[in-house]
Amino acid sequence: MYVSPLREPLVTGAKSYKDVTDDITKPMEGKPGKLWYVGLATALLALGFGGFAIYVTVWEGIGSWGLNRTIGWGWGITNFVWWVGIGHAGTFISAILLLFRQKWRTSINRSAEAMTIFAVMCAGLFPLLHMGRLPLGFFVFPYPNTRDLWVNFNSPLLWDVFAISTYFTVSLLFWYMGLIPDIASIRDRLKDGIRKQIYTVLSFGWTGSARHWSRHESMSLILAGLAAPLVLSVHSIVSMDFATSVIPGWHTTIFPPYFVAGAVFSGFAMVLTLMIITRKALNLENYITVGHVESMNKVIIATGSIVGIAYLTELFMAWYSGVVYERYAFVNRAFGPYWWAYWIMMTCNVITPQLFWFKKIRRNLAATFVISIFVNIGMWFERFVIIVTSLHRDFLPSSWAMYSPTWVEVGVYIGTFGLFFTMFFLFIRFFPVIAISEIKSVLKSSGENFIKKGGRNEK
Amino acid sequence: MKSNKFITGVYWDDKDLLTGIKEIQDKGISIFDVRTPFPVHGLDDVLKIKRSRLPRLGFIAGALGGVLAFYFQMWVFTQSWPINFGGKPYLSVPSFIPVTFELAVLFAAISLVFGFLIRSGIGPGAPVIIFDERTTDDAFLVAIQVNDESEVSNITEVLSSAGAEEVKQVEPSKTEQDV
Amino acid sequence: MAAAVVGFVLTLLGYFTGGVDGHRFWANILLNGFMVIGLTLGAGFFVAVHLIAESGWQTSIQRIAEAIGSNIWLGAIMIVPILLGAHSLYHWTHTEHLDHILQMKQGYLNMPFFILRMFIYLAGWIFLFHNIRKVSLMSDVNPDLKLFNRLRTFSGIFIVFFAITSSTSAWDWLMSIDAHWFSTLYGWYTFIGMFVNSIAVIIIFLVLLQKMGYMNHVNDEHLHDLGKYLFGFSIFWAYLWVSQYLLIWYANIPEETTYYVTRIKGFETLFYVNVIVCFVAPFFALMARGTKRKTTWLFYTAIIVFLGHWVDLYLAIMPGAVGAEHSHIGLFEIGLSVLYVAIFAFFVFKALTKGSLVPENHPYFKESFDYENIK
Repeated sequence: MYVSPLREPLVTGAKSYKDVTDDITKPMEGKPGKLWYVGLATALLALGFGGFAIYVTVWEGIGSWGLNRTIGWGWGITNFVWWVGIGHAGTFISAILLLFRQKWRTSINRSAEAMTIFAVMCAGLFPLLHMGRLPLGFFVFPYPNTRDLWVNFNSPLLWDVFAISTYFTVSLLFWYMGLIPDIASIRDRLKDGIRKQIYTVLSFGWTGSARHWSRHESMSLILAGLAAPLVLSVHSIVSMDFATSVIPGWHTTIFPPYFVAGAVFSGFAMVLTLMIITRKALNLENYITVGHVESMNKVIIATGSIVGIAYLTELFMAWYSGVVYERYAFVNRAFGPYWWAYWIMMTCNVITPQLFWFKKIRRNLAATFVISIFVNIGMWFERFVIIVTSLHRDFLPSSWAMYSPTWVEVGVYIGTFGLFFTMFFLFIRFFPVIAISEIKSVLKSSGENFIKKGGRNEK
Repeated sequence: MKSNKFITGVYWDDKDLLTGIKEIQDKGISIFDVRTPFPVHGLDDVLKIKRSRLPRLGFIAGALGGVLAFYFQMWVFTQSWPINFGGKPYLSVPSFIPVTFELAVLFAAISLVFGFLIRSGIGPGAPVIIFDERTTDDAFLVAIQVNDESEVSNITEVLSSAGAEEVKQVEPSKTEQDV
Repeated sequence: MAAAVVGFVLTLLGYFTGGVDGHRFWANILLNGFMVIGLTLGAGFFVAVHLIAESGWQTSIQRIAEAIGSNIWLGAIMIVPILLGAHSLYHWTHTEHLDHILQMKQGYLNMPFFILRMFIYLAGWIFLFHNIRKVSLMSDVNPDLKLFNRLRTFSGIFIVFFAITSSTSAWDWLMSIDAHWFSTLYGWYTFIGMFVNSIAVIIIFLVLLQKMGYMNHVNDEHLHDLGKYLFGFSIFWAYLWVSQYLLIWYANIPEETTYYVTRIKGFETLFYVNVIVCFVAPFFALMARGTKRKTTWLFYTAIIVFLGHWVDLYLAIMPGAVGAEHSHIGLFEIGLSVLYVAIFAFFVFKALTKGSLVPENHPYFKESFDYENIK
């Protein structure tokens, strides 16, 4: 396959197929480093604290949160939307970029998909907790309950149940199917032992047979074709939780695509934040190159600008609509009691990512790292602004209120970070962070200097 | 009962593999299996592997999922227990779109994955026949089944002349441990 | 040329045989003008976005998209006349009797600002795309990479400028017909409509050129990719259509639902035909792998999509500008559209002759012939 010499190599250093396997599986072999233990311990600590906050929430009820009658959704739903958003990068990378034949996807798709799965797990926790009594979670499934009633298919909240569970299932299947050949690689590297047995089971008996590969590719493509609209649908449906209502600031038709762009935006930021550290910690600089970071930054600037345009569109339409409530909602966002949240959102989401127009900044790891964290903060505040500032000024001025979280809500949020990072640390320990077989398939066309090292080793 | 004896040839490059396979086929030897560390393009054509019918399965399952989901929602709200939600009609089609779409995707995806696993005969605990452990690393391997001892020398010769860098006789067992 | 004559005759016939009042006349001028400028802009965007994304496959058909895009000036000439008919099209121009809401909007919806905005959009688009086209043609004789980088710079500016102006121009020219009504998604919805339409038209021109014996370097893989584009963005169009409809239907606020009420009440058949032709038809026609690779199949699907987006524009303009009782698709509508399309096609073919059909010095050109879609 011809590749223009103009393109930057995706794998640097002269690598052979064998080097690829060796380099990527190396972090999984031997004892993990000190850093890993420290990280895992911190994550577990956060998870424990979150567990305690959840215990308080369930034991004392939702009253332990800072919600009130006017502001019924606070941190809980903000965090839910934020985590779901972060979960959008993985499937975007592996599905939509696969359809667009973006080869740089191969270095980051596996870990990004893993992040998707973990983020969706974190997200799912919040609606469940928001019910106050955990067994109520059972009521969202469509079965005729004791009163012979069905669930309400008119409710966007129920659409969410279907959207998120479908998204979780499909992402998990997609991720695992891609992982099978790499697990087989690990299986075949291990000598006898309990680990070998475990990986043998996990590998599903994959052998790399030509027939299997052919079918595997065919399946991956169709799954990608299915996952692409699925990614769009999930955050669209999340946005409909707000947009189908008649609350000023919530009801606006641009929400579905704008939420999707925002989700991909924040997801890429999270992937960047973690991959910049991971590539360093696991010595994968040859696979996740500055070129990869630059490509991701380009996606960030594109989606960030789309989000920026959506903000301006909303603002303009609030004025143009001539509806006094809409106009007030937007003035209140920018200059009301929560003005600081609005301006944090604007700065972090619209202004700082514009720095990526400069090639120097796009290719600077430290700058990218900082800006990616800014984006994460900004996108959290976006959801906070949408939810809290739209709610806190009711149609009835007598019920205007303010909201601030209690330690319990903060604790649950910290707990989800704990969950996310615990899973992530376990993932990088037990599974290959980069899709080994996919790297190999682009190595010849996109490797910096492909070397054939066959026939050199044993025998 | 077919014999459990194979002769394998290892290549170190996908291009060599493709030309090698063509040469082997020209000599009239049928190939049992080809093992590669990643999907090699052009291999399907050389081995005459038919295009998978999985897409069709996915379409049927997806259509089924969509129809079922829509029909179910319709049944619940018009037959089983009609409730007035905010003055909306019982059969509020736009409201049913999201769930219909999600279930169509869910059905299609699950059927694709399970179709793939079943058709390929793999799954947790499936027996592994490994000819050479390096095929998941960097070896491209051609396996030819030996039905008759007299064929051995001929096959070995053809493999070597077709550019295979390592030619071996193997008798893989189907257990998971001995490989 | 013959089509132009036929179109012209039909137009005249339609005009004199009956019932074409000022509203209907100007509404059709707007419809066709917007269609043509939308096609040119969509193709321009197609070129720019692929240049900036450094894609390889599209270089084989880039010159077709470029040729269409280089006619933004033609679209401009076709859209400018609506200024003369603004009084018939936009009731906010009747400043002497505006209600309270329209008075509130006067800061934006007033004639001088409207003209100024139109001037800015058109000047910006023409200037930026003219440069893209010029540099691209220069690269035919000069393989310098600097030219390619300049192309990318202009493409970037074009995309940023277009990202904003595509929405605002849609609000100005189309949404303000129903001056009281508003929808934040409207700009993006209109943009996707024109983008899909221009992909359909690129396919149509590609097939026509192949029939004439040109563009033989385009192979099945390219067709397949174009088919996927048409398929995918038709779905995306439907997604935006549903998003807008669902949210307005669900919230059920009278100020917003009025838009759909007038359309469903007065144009019921067309309303559903629009969705079927723009989404259902390409969805099923192009779902299978084989159909995307068959020239004729792709060609007719593209034509259906093209007609579908004509209906889409018809539904965007007529209910507000003409009203349900007075608008119907008669000889005048058909004739005028045929005329416009014929003029458009003439200038596109003319533009195609101005440069090589193959951008040989494009740094990614060779890539375009060495790839395969996964089966």
